[in-house]
Amino acid sequence: MEIEELKRKFLNLDFDQREFPVRAEAMVDFATAVGETAAHYTDPNHPEFRAVPTFPARFHGRRMLPEDFPRLGGIPLDAGKAVMPKAPIRAGVTLVGRSHLHEIFEKTGRSGRMIFLVARMEVRGPDETLVAIVDSRMVIREKPAKEAGGAPQ
Amino acid sequence: MTVQRFEDAEFGEELPLFEPDLTLANVRKFARAAEMMAPRFTDHEGARKEGLPGALVPGVMSQAILVAMIHRWAPGAEIEKIDTVFRAPVIADEPHKVSGVVTDLDAAARTAEIDLTITNAAGETRVLGTARVKLG
Repeated sequence: MEIEELKRKFLNLDFDQREFPVRAEAMVDFATAVGETAAHYTDPNHPEFRAVPTFPARFHGRRMLPEDFPRLGGIPLDAGKAVMPKAPIRAGVTLVGRSHLHEIFEKTGRSGRMIFLVARMEVRGPDETLVAIVDSRMVIREKPAKEAGGAPQ
Repeated sequence: MTVQRFEDAEFGEELPLFEPDLTLANVRKFARAAEMMAPRFTDHEGARKEGLPGALVPGVMSQAILVAMIHRWAPGAEIEKIDTVFRAPVIADEPHKVSGVVTDLDAAARTAEIDLTITNAAGETRVLGTARVKLG
């Protein structure tokens, strides 16, 4: 499938939604395990207690890609993750993560075509406030048609 | 010395080296908090059964360790963006070092760009990152 067709069919359409309850204990353990020492990350009684900025990177949707996304003959490999915190995450709330494909592009080298995908999860609070954007980059090394079975998967 | 204000930061400044706690017990604690209780993160033997050299430090944990180092350097820094590439596995119970260097300063926005790396005892880069942080 051509990149332009993939973009036309899949970009910017939500393909997953999931709720994430946020517990104080998990926030504290997450923070202390990575070496944060500030009380606003480690003490639930602190008036500004909040999750560390990368906390939403642990949120995973039910799917990595849209249900009908072609497999392209390869397994998506993790190519990195970016987090853009937008507002503090407080204990006791339930957040909602909605995912869509934000970018699709290709690079072609001697070993063939590699397709890069950026799945973006927008994480919102109970009042729909955007609290974080999490981009997960994936790369798929496309197999030649005969190796991949020659049919969309 | 910690950075309290934008004016305290210097271009090319190296952040104080940080040796994170990557003991398996601590990685398990993180995995529990992050709901990532898979054998590859919690048990060396379980990870080896999956063909890995040992229990892995989750990429999300490595990313958060990079942020913790920034906070040790500049306690009031607000992370605007952190981007990480997990180049090779970080193995639990093995020593690693976290380093960072200020690569750009924007006086108008009062932000700093920082290049970040996690290296193992052999000096091999395992995780690369860049962060943009707002300083007070």
